[in-house]
Amino acid sequence: MPVEELSDGIFRINIDDREMLATKNLVSGISVYGERLIVEEGVEYRQWDPNRSKLGAMVLKNFEIPLHYDSTVLYLGAASGTTVSHVSDILRDGLVYAVEFSPRTMRDLLQLCDQRPNIIPILADANKPQSYTHIVEKVDAIFQDVAQPNQAEIAAVNSKYFLEQHGHLMLSIKSRSIDTVASPKRIFKEEVQKLETGFDVEFEVLQRKELEPFHEDHLGLVARMFVEDEE
Amino acid sequence: MQESGQSAALQDLDLRQAAIDSCFVELDEEYDILLREVCIRAAKSRISSNDTDDRRIIQAVQALDDIDRNSNELSERLLEWYGAYFPELELTGEPLARFVSTFGSRANVPESHPMFVKASMSMGSELSFADEELLRTFALNICSLYDTRRHIESYIVTAMGSLAPNLSDIAGALLGARLISMAGSLQKLASFPSSTVQVIGAHRALFKHLRGNTPPPKHGIIFNNVVIKNAPWWQRGKLARSFASKISLAARTDFYTGKRDPSIRESMDKKLNAIRAANPSPPKRESKPAGKPGSRGKSRNKKGGRR
Ligand SMILES: C[S@@+](CC[C@H](N)C(=O)[O-])C[C@H]1O[C@@H](n2cnc3c(N)ncnc32)[C@H](O)[C@@H]1O
Repeated sequence: MPVEELSDGIFRINIDDREMLATKNLVSGISVYGERLIVEEGVEYRQWDPNRSKLGAMVLKNFEIPLHYDSTVLYLGAASGTTVSHVSDILRDGLVYAVEFSPRTMRDLLQLCDQRPNIIPILADANKPQSYTHIVEKVDAIFQDVAQPNQAEIAAVNSKYFLEQHGHLMLSIKSRSIDTVASPKRIFKEEVQKLETGFDVEFEVLQRKELEPFHEDHLGLVARMFVEDEE
Repeated sequence: MQESGQSAALQDLDLRQAAIDSCFVELDEEYDILLREVCIRAAKSRISSNDTDDRRIIQAVQALDDIDRNSNELSERLLEWYGAYFPELELTGEPLARFVSTFGSRANVPESHPMFVKASMSMGSELSFADEELLRTFALNICSLYDTRRHIESYIVTAMGSLAPNLSDIAGALLGARLISMAGSLQKLASFPSSTVQVIGAHRALFKHLRGNTPPPKHGIIFNNVVIKNAPWWQRGKLARSFASKISLAARTDFYTGKRDPSIRESMDKKLNAIRAANPSPPKRESKPAGKPGSRGKSRNKKGGRR
């Protein structure tokens, strides 16, 4: 069987004795960033390059990806949409809010939005979730790849505003955006600790792994928000 | 999306519920479609307004330069022309144009005017009525160029205040606009390393350096800022470097967030004061370094004359 569904909407395809990661193309015939299109049994897939996507790397690092066909996702740091396009493929009945704060990058993202009805673009600073509370509703998952020194805080604040109870947080932590000299291992440890206890929302870290060889000095992490009973 | 019922009352204002309650949309799906369209449109308009803003500012900066070139040239013509009739009048540039357009012939200068004595004793030739009319119109046009220049300057200050508030804060609106213009856009300026920002506008010195034996330029147009211009020579290099790096930071903040951040200015003032305090007097080795700033000073004057 050349095509295997690893989890909802995420496929491993065996072609010419090579394995590749792919998603089902939501907009047939269109390659978003030059990735290969593959047709298997009448279905078109888009190759997903783990070197260009932290989420793709997380899949290959055997993370359990908490995304389903009908999930709603808040994506922070959408950039020009390389990874967002695959998330959009996966969520064929869902919705992704794509937040990006660089106007120039947003321009590319908007072109992607024109083709894909399940992406809602938001030009905003992820540090200021108040600026998009009127747009974003509760989501099942947050994916964040912002490469900022206060990554953990951004994740926590957005989770507090937008994540469903027990919703999932997927995070890519880049050690060098936090400290260029300190050892990545130590930074990762501190960031994970921050997430577990440092904010007024707490997370239970389900999986954490470095994303080598696809991305140097990056930690991938999946956590579940932990809500204390208020009653 | 199917669970939209659940999402009610989660935020302070639930737009989805409000839209449905008010029959603005009937179905959840309609709301989703509408929301997406509104978001796309909002992002597009913010992007394109950014775009046109810096294009307009660049046009305005270039218009200033055009006006300077033309008004200088026309003022020189007026000086030479009118000089035949009133050689003792020691005015140039805008004051000269104002004088000629107001009075025309020196015979019209009133007693109360400080130039009255010179005007009545002048050795210049008489001005015929036809020549007077022509000169007045000519001078009036020059005046209106100077007026337009001021108008454009205040336009730039306003436009920079909204496009690049931090850059305006740090470099001043006009120098900031000039940097954007020379970089090509705010985005490009934001992408330059601060070492490049430091030499923007130093084309001549840079090419000279590339061709051979002169040292690389230490400052480009940022030298026009009083922070550096008025500093003693031995502090200038350090000040320029730190000034350039804050300009870079300001341009980036403007490009990426568009919001004013007063802490940039505060940290710059602190840094500059620290540099001044740490270098109160010229370094010891007098002979060589003293020669260099002198020659740089000259090329700076050339620039100053053009503006
Ligand atoms: C590493 S890139 C993301 C790449 C993207 N996730 C992908 O795989 O296609 C980081 C992006 O986050 C954006 N970013 C950084 N800080 C941000 C913030 N505070 N709010 C929103 N976006 C931010 C940057 O402009 C940049 O485009």
